[in-house]
Amino acid sequence: MRHYYLEKTSMGKFIESLKEGYRVVAPIKKENQFVFAKVESAGEVELEYLPTVLPPKKYLFPQKEKLGTFDMGDTKLTDTSVEVEPMIIFAAHTCDIEGLECLDVVFNSDPADPYYKARKKSLLIIGFECMVPCDEYATCRTMDTHNPKAGYDVMITDVGSKYVLHVNSKEGKDLLEGNSALLDAGNGEAKTLLAKTREEKLKRFDNKLKPEFSRLARLFGDSYTSPVWDEVGEKCLSCGNCTAVCPTCYCLDMYDKVKLDTTGGERKRVWDSCQLEEFASVAGGENFREERSSRQRHRYYRKFDYSVKKYHKFFCTGCGRCSRTCMAGISLIETVNSLDEENENV
Amino acid sequence: MSKNKKKKEKVRIAFFDFADCEGCQLQVTYLNEAFLGVLEHCDIVNFREAISERSDDYDIAFVEGSITREHDAERLKEIRKNAKILIAYGACACIGGINGLRKKYTADEAINIVYAGRKDPIEAGEPKPVHDVVKVDHYIHGCPTSNDELVEALKGILLGKGYTPPDYAVCVECKLKENVCLFEKGQVCMGPVTRAGCNSWCPSWGNTCYGCRGLLPNPAKEGQMDVLEKNGYTINELEQKFDLYNACKLEADKNE
Repeated sequence: MRHYYLEKTSMGKFIESLKEGYRVVAPIKKENQFVFAKVESAGEVELEYLPTVLPPKKYLFPQKEKLGTFDMGDTKLTDTSVEVEPMIIFAAHTCDIEGLECLDVVFNSDPADPYYKARKKSLLIIGFECMVPCDEYATCRTMDTHNPKAGYDVMITDVGSKYVLHVNSKEGKDLLEGNSALLDAGNGEAKTLLAKTREEKLKRFDNKLKPEFSRLARLFGDSYTSPVWDEVGEKCLSCGNCTAVCPTCYCLDMYDKVKLDTTGGERKRVWDSCQLEEFASVAGGENFREERSSRQRHRYYRKFDYSVKKYHKFFCTGCGRCSRTCMAGISLIETVNSLDEENENV
Repeated sequence: MSKNKKKKEKVRIAFFDFADCEGCQLQVTYLNEAFLGVLEHCDIVNFREAISERSDDYDIAFVEGSITREHDAERLKEIRKNAKILIAYGACACIGGINGLRKKYTADEAINIVYAGRKDPIEAGEPKPVHDVVKVDHYIHGCPTSNDELVEALKGILLGKGYTPPDYAVCVECKLKENVCLFEKGQVCMGPVTRAGCNSWCPSWGNTCYGCRGLLPNPAKEGQMDVLEKNGYTINELEQKFDLYNACKLEADKNE
């Protein structure tokens, strides 16, 4: 696919041009952090940002959403339509794009979730490539998500003097065609520039996880009964922050919101979390993950083991949000490295 | 509606208050539009905040306040006898609330602090949550209670499903709203050990969570102590954070 150049001084103009016809959401400052939010003016957009509080999954799988309405006694939901508008997620990090790729495997493969699918259809993703690792929590290098690979329509890369835009889909091509902020780039020249930039970039990204990518799945295969889980469980407050902020956590609960006249209501779904005590409790009072340690272990296994067996994919994107948000200081890097150390000593 | 269908009888609701500020009852008067919806189904027969009529014929009793004196306990038992459903309404009724701080002192100390210099006899019993005196069917937590939750609970009760408040932490609702965590701003918050259901009311408006909805059924108390300690709090300050709303329970736990 083709490449464009964008002068650095034209970025504002480019963002404004996207707003014509699309709801553009991008990282915007919120107090001392960042969130994805609707762009009112291009000046608000933060291109150098630490991962947002919530990942962009909220646009495809909202925290709370209506699934349909019902009248009392009905056995079927009516009005199950999804309101969508053409949307662009702008300046997504490659880790978050990988997060959406993971959600696609879950929600958008047969049988697809109609609500997710409708939203995904009207969505364009414009990535912004990271040139430095975010902070001490990011493990994108080990998880191999630090470079753009797939899952985006357009990727913007800062090659020093200007930006290179890589068009990666037909939708992306249609979006950018004729945009007056952009200059046509010869494919060969742009590719050389990108390759050189990435070679330099790689020197700044180190492996913070001791086990290599290829060893991770085996490590988890051997670690189910590790005492490390007890240590993690002792710290855990079961607040559910780690799962809410995870770009690949998708567990949900459903409930009915009944109208005040009690003749009917709405069926809704809301994000749920395996870290909450109630999550794995079933009728009869049994709870098959009663201990915080087993709940934390479950979360890690959903990222490094079960997902590999089921989808042939790690569901950790290396974004570091779970560690960054944990007030009890549970660190993914420490946990995985402790498992690795213990495994070596056996 | 068919002609033959009998007009649905309205549910009779009564409000009662004990040791409290009556702020939770006051919340009911702010229900506005939803209030009219509630009145479609319910007759309010006792409600000191807004009406002067009284009746002992009611189905649902909302009990506000903690129980501190013997004759209060007797009055509450009468209410229990009359009501089909009894709801502990607000922090004082559900968990003892701020009144629980009385348990940190002897009666004489407490009287001296609150009524210094008064010579007439003052009865200063130990505050109890409502469930320490009579059976409670449902809890609506908070200081004050949230009207959204009140309406949800009422709908559940009218449908015969009842109402179960969440038993996870305030953080869950706070994070869904994408609030910046208070710990990230160098502040401390009781959210991680406090029962949700308020839609993270205080943290969403820049305040910290005080724990008014009571501790979680299984709070990670040690973990929370660690977190607060890491944020520079002394043991004494930590205990004050826990005690503000939860002293009734924590003092009772100590004596167990």
